[in-house]
Amino acid sequence: MRIVTSSKGHPLYEELVSIVGADRVTDSPVILSAYSKDASHLTAERPGIVVLPQSVEEVQAIVRLCASTKTALVTAGGRNGICGACLPRVRDAVMLDMVKMDGLVRLDEDVMTVTVEAGLRWAELIHMLDERGYKLGFRGPYGGSAGTVGGSVSSNSIGYAASKFGPANEGVVSLQVVLANGEVLRTGTGWNPNASLFGRYSAYNDLTGLFLGDYGTLGVKTKVTLKIYPRAEHLAYGDFGFKTLEDATAAFLEIQKRGLTEELNLLADRQSTDTFFPGFLDSHPEIKAMFAAIVQEDDEELARRKMEIVREIALRHGGKDLGNFASQMHWGEMFNLVQPLFNNGFWLNTCHLRPIPSIPTVMKRLWVIFKKYKMPKNGIKWIASCLGSERAYTTGWFTIFSPTREKMDEALKIWNEMLDAIMETGGCPYWSGRLWENRVLARTDPVFLATYRTLKRALDPDNILNPHVFEGV
Amino acid sequence: MELRNLQQYQDELWLCARCGDCSLADKIVASHRDVYHPCAVKNVLGFEAYASRGRIMIMNDLLDGALEVNQDVVDWLYTCTTCKSCQEACMATAEGIRLPEMVEALRRDVVAAGFDVPRHREIEESIVAEGNPYRELASKRLELFGDRDWPEQAEVVYFVGCTSAYREKEIAQTTVELLDKIGVDYTVLQDERCCGSVLLRLGHTEHFDELTRHNIEAIERTGAKTVVTACAGCYRTWKIDMPREGHKYKFEVLHITEYLDRLVQEGRVAFESPEPIVVTYHDPCHLGRHAEVYEAPRRVLQAVRSLELVEMRTNRRYAHCCGSGGGVKSTYGQLANQVAANRLEEAEETGATTLVTACPFCHRGLTDGAKYAGKEIDIVDLPTFVLPYLVEREKAVGVEGENPLKERFMEYLRAHPKIFDGLKRGAVIDYDIDGDRFHVLVTGKSAIEVQPVRAENPDVELLFSRGAVERLIQNESEDDYAAEFGRLFKEPTDEEWIKFNLRLNIVKLLMKGYRKFAQKAGLI
Ligand SMILES: Cc1cc2nc3c(=O)[nH]c(=O)nc-3n(C[C@H](O)[C@H](O)[C@H](O)COP(=O)(O)OP(=O)(O)OC[C@H]3O[C@@H](n4cnc5c(N)ncnc54)[C@H](O)[C@@H]3O)c2cc1C
Ligand code: SF4
Ligand code: SF4
Repeated sequence: MRIVTSSKGHPLYEELVSIVGADRVTDSPVILSAYSKDASHLTAERPGIVVLPQSVEEVQAIVRLCASTKTALVTAGGRNGICGACLPRVRDAVMLDMVKMDGLVRLDEDVMTVTVEAGLRWAELIHMLDERGYKLGFRGPYGGSAGTVGGSVSSNSIGYAASKFGPANEGVVSLQVVLANGEVLRTGTGWNPNASLFGRYSAYNDLTGLFLGDYGTLGVKTKVTLKIYPRAEHLAYGDFGFKTLEDATAAFLEIQKRGLTEELNLLADRQSTDTFFPGFLDSHPEIKAMFAAIVQEDDEELARRKMEIVREIALRHGGKDLGNFASQMHWGEMFNLVQPLFNNGFWLNTCHLRPIPSIPTVMKRLWVIFKKYKMPKNGIKWIASCLGSERAYTTGWFTIFSPTREKMDEALKIWNEMLDAIMETGGCPYWSGRLWENRVLARTDPVFLATYRTLKRALDPDNILNPHVFEGV
Repeated sequence: MELRNLQQYQDELWLCARCGDCSLADKIVASHRDVYHPCAVKNVLGFEAYASRGRIMIMNDLLDGALEVNQDVVDWLYTCTTCKSCQEACMATAEGIRLPEMVEALRRDVVAAGFDVPRHREIEESIVAEGNPYRELASKRLELFGDRDWPEQAEVVYFVGCTSAYREKEIAQTTVELLDKIGVDYTVLQDERCCGSVLLRLGHTEHFDELTRHNIEAIERTGAKTVVTACAGCYRTWKIDMPREGHKYKFEVLHITEYLDRLVQEGRVAFESPEPIVVTYHDPCHLGRHAEVYEAPRRVLQAVRSLELVEMRTNRRYAHCCGSGGGVKSTYGQLANQVAANRLEEAEETGATTLVTACPFCHRGLTDGAKYAGKEIDIVDLPTFVLPYLVEREKAVGVEGENPLKERFMEYLRAHPKIFDGLKRGAVIDYDIDGDRFHVLVTGKSAIEVQPVRAENPDVELLFSRGAVERLIQNESEDDYAAEFGRLFKEPTDEEWIKFNLRLNIVKLLMKGYRKFAQKAGLI
């Protein structure tokens, strides 16, 4: 059904209609306006036309059409990214809105994998698996109500349950990818048409990895196969506060190294806790930093014991047991934690990865910046949160909130200084996009970049897939 | 073009960070809320522009001048049912980003600028001329009740509403029959006029005040203390819109489901089905999300003996809309039909044989949707549904005997209102012991009301094991209670535990004073 009529001015309008029908194509400027941004302030070109494919065959036909006309094709998932990655860099691009490709294709209980269409959202997948008695490893970015599996594995997302399972890409077994020539590639054990999708590494090198984190530049992912685990019913929670960030970091590192937790989330200073949960530390004036630990196991005793060990480690590093309200809320409000912070203003993010011991170093740099701008008195609040990830590194989700449009210029200045400080202290962005790209390119080893470009040329000789990504903005 | 009304929302538009929850979220398992792809319109039309996130981007573009208002914008603008589902799903602000209000503001702007949908102009003209949007004669408004003398004075006024009076007559007729049989002292207005809901929704607000003044004066002349309506749209207009637009009245306004609920609770009314029956209930957006009446209709249904009420995947605050509101049915009939068909599919998934709703507009929309999509489930409005099940008053037994532990817990809390000190007036906590519910409403400092029923729209739900309650109610002082509460929460055992579900987002909870409450209970 259509309400707002298309302008029919895009050169590929008629052909796209012949592929998917008129109801799933639009080049109306009104409708395109809703595809002009993701969840960041960053802007680029607007797509020239948006298509809602529903099958791999439709995606193939669209890719072939774009290849034959040398038209840019940009794939968008939930458009919930925070780095402008899904926005076209050139005019008149065709945008694929993948959210209608959201089915559960196959749950293979024998090999413990689930194959889903790339446009399925994490929260919905969790729902589908839960009904069938399973859970995922990595459970989605914190924006996983709208973030898609395809978008996340194309942009190195990290988030829930990373403490135990690492980032999104670690959970991927196989991909179905439509290549720039319209052919369909199956990676992992998918090279063998007779085999099920049970393993990632088999016979050849890891082609799955080639497409993970490619920002849609090397192909359009249409299916993703992920590892699954039996649903684990037993949860144990603990909140621990520390007098110094150094102590908190040391305990955080030890817990992470020992692989005890499903989720481990550190709030690096009092202001961060206050932004997240005003008043939480009121009764604990001596506490400067805190973390929430969540253990999830299929055995109650095991869960309890692991939390006891977490507690022992925390106390050994001078920690104080703060109860378990924050961690219960943290886990119980899955995918709802970040949105209430928007009340503080529009967010500017600096998400990246770093070794856990470097948390105090970067925070010292950031505190200098915050002080210089008289934050939060100037109305701009921050949150500095670190999420333990598989083995011993962490995310740095250091975000500031511009309360009004008027404050945005000042907020942008602060944000730019933060981005520099983060890079200078050894941070590595997980997703790049328009947010990090120039800073990343400025530091990228030429051999690394040349290798990527060789691959890009080989797979997409006409440069139609998300063109000009990784070329600077 | 000047967008004076929309401009007032500029600061709030800024706070939308485009997370997409209002468009794509499924929170059913991850955070135990029945949010599932909130925008029923976007679910049909597909493109982001039809969900709140996209609408906000378009509105920002209009305000920034990146887009100009033209016919395409107007067409897009009238696809929103203003159902408020997106706002309930949105956690960016305490209330959620108020997209329906923004849509109505922009509608006022485009109407002021001369952009219009011809059908809407006709509706407005009909309301001005005949007091109803259907181009029916005002003189025929009460014809459906036959030749009947209505008293000039009565305790209760039944406000019929245009849709029941002219289109969904069975609802009005059965409501009247129900009130007659129950023996209510009531009347209807001789010259009732449209409540003005449709004008507000479409952005044609010029005549709203005059209609409202007329209706208020007419009701006041009857001396009624209570106004009852079976129309969710009228109800919302009376309860929410009129006060917001500055109109005051002294009588109380109840939806028929609230009124029947009251009579059931008082033991004045009872219902009984001769056969077991399984029904599901569709929450009208105007009654539910806009006026926060979710439980009263359910309690009335559950009061029907031999009836089993089963819920749809989305229900209460997060129920999908029927597709008829906000002018969508009159503007885009097929869209409304498809939205309704999707809702009927949800109803069918429950296995219920009957879908009950409580709004003539929803009833009509869902019935048309069923015809459009060939659905067979029975669709019945609540008064019509319960009428045949009404049993004699002598048989009415009132509320069934309470669970004694629940009684004791309620008594205990009544005697210890200080437990709730720190919470703001209006805070509502729902208590659940083995599925048996009651709620506490904070009415002032150290003042609470404890009601034996589930809250309409609680801030927080607290779930207790029986063992935990037994232990809690032994504490003499509020401080000991709080300490025990904290302990049971932090160190639960299989027999003694407390769990919680947050029903509001944290910003709103903090505004309502839950920080102090949590501190007192040693939770933080
Ligand atoms: C409230 C909130 C919280 C967030 N929390 C986190 C967090 O904790 N961790 C985190 O990592 N991110 C977070 N994000 C950002 C966002 O959730 C993630 O980046 C998410 O993975 C984006 O998924 P998407 O489907 O929206 O991708 P999009 O933004 O639509 O696209 C991202 C990139 O993937 C490409 N792409 C999308 N689909 C495909 C496909 N099928 N094939 C090929 N390429 C494709 C796009 O071209 C683009 O380059 C958050 C965002 C919000 C709004
Ligand atoms: S309106 Fe609310 S839920 Fe929707 S995108 Fe904006 S912030 Fe998110
Ligand atoms: S009010 Fe309803 S129809 Fe309108 S955008 Fe929100 S959810 Fe969609």
